[in-house]
Amino acid sequence: MGWISNGSDRRSTLGVLPEISLAFDVLYQSLWSQQHVPPAVLELCRLRLAQLHRCDVELHRQECPVPDAKRDKLSQWSSVRLFTDEECACLAFTEVYAMDAQALTDELAESVKSHFGDAGLVMLVEALGILDGMTRLSLLWQLPTSNGAQECAEQRV
Amino acid sequence: MSGQARAVNMGKSTGNMMRDSALGLVPETLDHYMGLNRTIWEDGPLRPADIELARLRNARKVNCVFCKSVRYDIAKADGLSEDKVAMIEDDFRGSDLSERDKLILAFTDQYLNDPAGIGEELKEALRTEFTSQELVHLSMVVAHFSGFSRCAVSLGGMPTQLPIMEMSVP
Repeated sequence: MGWISNGSDRRSTLGVLPEISLAFDVLYQSLWSQQHVPPAVLELCRLRLAQLHRCDVELHRQECPVPDAKRDKLSQWSSVRLFTDEECACLAFTEVYAMDAQALTDELAESVKSHFGDAGLVMLVEALGILDGMTRLSLLWQLPTSNGAQECAEQRV
Repeated sequence: MSGQARAVNMGKSTGNMMRDSALGLVPETLDHYMGLNRTIWEDGPLRPADIELARLRNARKVNCVFCKSVRYDIAKADGLSEDKVAMIEDDFRGSDLSERDKLILAFTDQYLNDPAGIGEELKEALRTEFTSQELVHLSMVVAHFSGFSRCAVSLGGMPTQLPIMEMSVP
């Protein structure tokens, strides 16, 4: 149970506001079904945000399968030859976004656009806004670590 | 910050600010984004003036010129004056804002600066002043508007200054 409500995970915490919870859930699920940026790329970006924020709850969560090798080497993505150019472009953008969105350069944006176009760049920044927000809330709400993975498993049943 | 827009929506103008922006390039998520925006304004326990206070504090911290310039009419109708808006600065703790208003700003700052580091004193003060529903609502207000501000900053094309623009929730 977090300090903010009787909820023990994101879903049950948001559950005290059913309309907002439902609207958020619809938006969140749409991230994983859109056509502009592959969900597995977004998942790598989500995990990288969790690493940068040191958020165990979000690191234990899985929204989309990614190979174990990529999960294991994610913090070294720029120095190991395991990640595709598309993934590297999005991870580079994600890292600067996480530190300071004002520090993003045109070059980082162009690199993402070279793979996914203007719509892909918009999709990535929309997704980062939501994923960064949920990571910060997991930390702020002080949710128990074990519940990220459990919550995902329950959603898939 | 880039002065050039990094993504441009060349589609036909609809007259809707969000649909005509670069966000309109991703229709799969735009309607859901707008739906969440509306329900955050209309379906939570916090008053519009409370929501606007948190939104504007975030806008100043993230330095989104668009977000800083906007005033939502429902917050103004709810009593949020420009005198009050002027107190949403880094020294807000010494201002004439109410203790409740100061807690809204302190929560917003905690989210932005160090979400993992929230202390017992602030948690206790928040739990004393707000219900659980209000705190979850405030959380979603800050997360949603912060994501939106960062999205606008990330896509570039931001002017250095804009006049205050009053608008309705899209």
